[in-house]
Amino acid sequence: MITTPHDVKEYRGRLKKALKNEFLGTTLDNFATAYRTSRANAFEGIDLEGLIQQIAAAKDASIPYLEELFALFKTQAEKAGVTVHVARTAAEANEIISSIAKAAGARRIVKGKSMTAEETFLNAHLEKEGYQVTETDLGEWIIQLRHEGPSHMVMPAIHLSRRQVAELFTRVTGQYQDPDDINGMVKVARRELRQAYLQADMGITGANFAIAETGSIGLVTNEGNGRLVTTLPRVHVALLGFDKLVPDLKSALRILKVLPRNATGQAISTYVTWITGANECATGPHGRKEMHIVFLDNGRLSLARDPVFAQALRCVRCGACANVCPIYKLVGGHNYGHVYIGAIGLILTYFFHGHDNARAIIKNCLNCQACKSVCPTGIDLPHLIKEVYRTVLESEGKKPVRNVLLSRALKDRRLFHFLLRRAYLAQKPLAGEDRLMRHLPMFLAREHAFRTLPAVAKRPLRDIWEHINPRLQKPRYRVALFGGCLIDFVYPEQAEALLRLSEEHNVQIEYPMDQSCCGLPAKMLGERETAKEVALQNLKAIDPAAYDYILTLCASCGSHLRENYAKLLAGEVGLQVKMQQFKDKVIDFSSFMQNVLQVNSERFAQNYKKVAYHSPCHLCRGLQVIREPRELMQTAGLDYVPARDEDVCCGFGGSFSLDFPEISAELLKRKLDNVEATGAEVLVTDCPGCVLQLRGGMDKKGTGKIEVKHIAELVADNLKKRKA
Amino acid sequence: MEPRVDLKEMMKEKARAVQSIVAEIGSLEEALRYAIDLTRSQGGTHLAAPGLDKRDPAAWSLFRSLCKESGISLVKENLRAVIGKLHTGFTVADYAIAETATLVQDSSSEDLRIATMLSEIHVAILPASRIVFDAMSLDSELKGYMTSPPSYVAFISGASRTADIERVLTIGVHGPQELHILILNEDRA
Repeated sequence: MITTPHDVKEYRGRLKKALKNEFLGTTLDNFATAYRTSRANAFEGIDLEGLIQQIAAAKDASIPYLEELFALFKTQAEKAGVTVHVARTAAEANEIISSIAKAAGARRIVKGKSMTAEETFLNAHLEKEGYQVTETDLGEWIIQLRHEGPSHMVMPAIHLSRRQVAELFTRVTGQYQDPDDINGMVKVARRELRQAYLQADMGITGANFAIAETGSIGLVTNEGNGRLVTTLPRVHVALLGFDKLVPDLKSALRILKVLPRNATGQAISTYVTWITGANECATGPHGRKEMHIVFLDNGRLSLARDPVFAQALRCVRCGACANVCPIYKLVGGHNYGHVYIGAIGLILTYFFHGHDNARAIIKNCLNCQACKSVCPTGIDLPHLIKEVYRTVLESEGKKPVRNVLLSRALKDRRLFHFLLRRAYLAQKPLAGEDRLMRHLPMFLAREHAFRTLPAVAKRPLRDIWEHINPRLQKPRYRVALFGGCLIDFVYPEQAEALLRLSEEHNVQIEYPMDQSCCGLPAKMLGERETAKEVALQNLKAIDPAAYDYILTLCASCGSHLRENYAKLLAGEVGLQVKMQQFKDKVIDFSSFMQNVLQVNSERFAQNYKKVAYHSPCHLCRGLQVIREPRELMQTAGLDYVPARDEDVCCGFGGSFSLDFPEISAELLKRKLDNVEATGAEVLVTDCPGCVLQLRGGMDKKGTGKIEVKHIAELVADNLKKRKA
Repeated sequence: MEPRVDLKEMMKEKARAVQSIVAEIGSLEEALRYAIDLTRSQGGTHLAAPGLDKRDPAAWSLFRSLCKESGISLVKENLRAVIGKLHTGFTVADYAIAETATLVQDSSSEDLRIATMLSEIHVAILPASRIVFDAMSLDSELKGYMTSPPSYVAFISGASRTADIERVLTIGVHGPQELHILILNEDRA
């Protein structure tokens, strides 16, 4: 039985429990590491980006025509002797399938793995109706015997240890099974399930493809159970979503090129089966199979018409969004989805399994973009997650106080900045000399103590700007600095570092004073309207035509300005040109230094300080800047030592770390352990948010603290002193 | 360099990467003997070669006499009746895809399916000329099957496998535990 918590409190209880599961933590961590390598190998020599674009475009072209594709499919399949059914709801699909079984006089049913059947809880329905149902995919069989749901879309039993499987199989066979003899356990399944195939009257499978032009279905499997399920029993029922329809074989083959590679790092799954029509079957009526194909709607056809969410139907169920998700890696699929798992699971849960099941899990996203970066159909998963979150909040009618306050403050820059200044006074009794909060404010409970919070600066950047910013006579470039809240109010020294470098390189930096928060925190809380208003304010404050570049020291601001402003302001008449110019001028610190200024190593003291690097999510995936910071460290005379999982999220995620402190703490711990293992003296990164998290965590560690800095600070520190 | 040579080498390399056993053979008879020896050495008693009699009557009668000599039962049809006894399924691949070491078989015959699904091992002859680079290159051939239904086309890329217990790769879960690909060099035949 799948039970997904309906409120965050209960959900956090489950998460805490999962975090203590050492087996799960280790297994999923090893898997994530192995997956990375095998995926990269599988795609070697393939233009993956190009392929993703082609698949996304092809999917987008057919999604508006699913009903037309279905009509064609139905005609072709019926010509070939198949009965085609439409189920509007999950219950209807289950009813249709049990009626088929009843009419065929079937008693025993074997099943191939099907997420769609999991979606409709088909097994429970058939069992209630008195049918004997046996799952035949090994992983599915294991979880069926344990009465669980899958914890991964491709590897349903990945959460179980060999010991747990051995105990289960010992019980099932009545004979001791050695947990270390995995081959032996696989052979148990081979023996036990062979009987099930031979005795079954009906086979049920899903399908990966429904090819409209020929009425064919395609099945992708590794074990070969799908072939047996579609061959031995006299009746075959395939249950699939409307989203599996593709116009032609070419479209299916194109998806097949990425699906196994992206799912398991295999060039192809062992068996791919293309079935057209009712095939030969010795035990079937007139020597033919009785074949049925059931298309499930369950919201898909309306989803296809939704301007924002339609792209969720591009999903080919490869499971990769879970494989790379840092949260999935910690808590497993049973805590990261309802039936569907991973980033796409959070989204589909809302549509297929309802508001209540989505309410708590939908908040559990760092917006780290890892899922988006591996999606083979280019779904903007983090964006859709936030959109579902917004929809959930809006339909609940009453917004959390935090959302109301944040929206109220952000919509009025003066009020917002007034509040930030006041924070300096309010925190005074809690702050230490080192500008870290030495006591937690009352409203934060003990679980937030995994990192020290920074104190708000005495004087924000905007107040000291005129004093610290040198005026240059004939600058090479005029650049607007987009500060962002953390640089402006917490870490103005990071901007000062930038000014030292820009003066040295004859670049005039300006700080347009009407700029405000970038708006990402509002988006994170599902406040799209607020995010949009703030975007408009910033676009007004910074006229892109007046500057050569719009530079940001904050990767999160940068990627939000570059990627999300276009989405937020789409359709705003008269603003599209400005927005495009704005977007084109946004640049991060390292790229500006390395690519625009092409800074020369002669300007830097080559002291070869050993430096580790944390690659911010919104830099490496959001802005796709990977090479530049690493090169810049070398240019600046530093000895960059790579750390494990450099591009895995540090666990900050803005308000995420307040909502799910346990997850944030565990991600931070792993991050710092990896950094420490490098033996570096300093840890640098390109984002003040990451600095906040990493420095706060390092402070709590006590012994052997490694200094944490913004990359701009360390690079500026290494500038050679100018001759007096 | 002739592209076909490349495809064959690629096929061999990729096949080994997915634990398929590949050998080059010069004649059909060699393949028949290979299958018989393998069956015997593994203690098998039944060898199924569905469709071979129609495809190549001469090869079929040779196979029959060779099997007889070796004490192996050779079957070609009604394979449901011998499930459980089948040791080796012997087939001829229609095409192969080098990029993924995939055999493409028109498996519309139920006996052919049973031979390749329920045998302990699967031995397939692959005429070298039938190897193409990727699945897209077979678009029209595959469409040919699909537009003359009913049809059941199988892509087979190795022996049956699973990694469902602790992600440990284990070969031979439901289908054959070994896949032998015998590449037939027709020019030498």
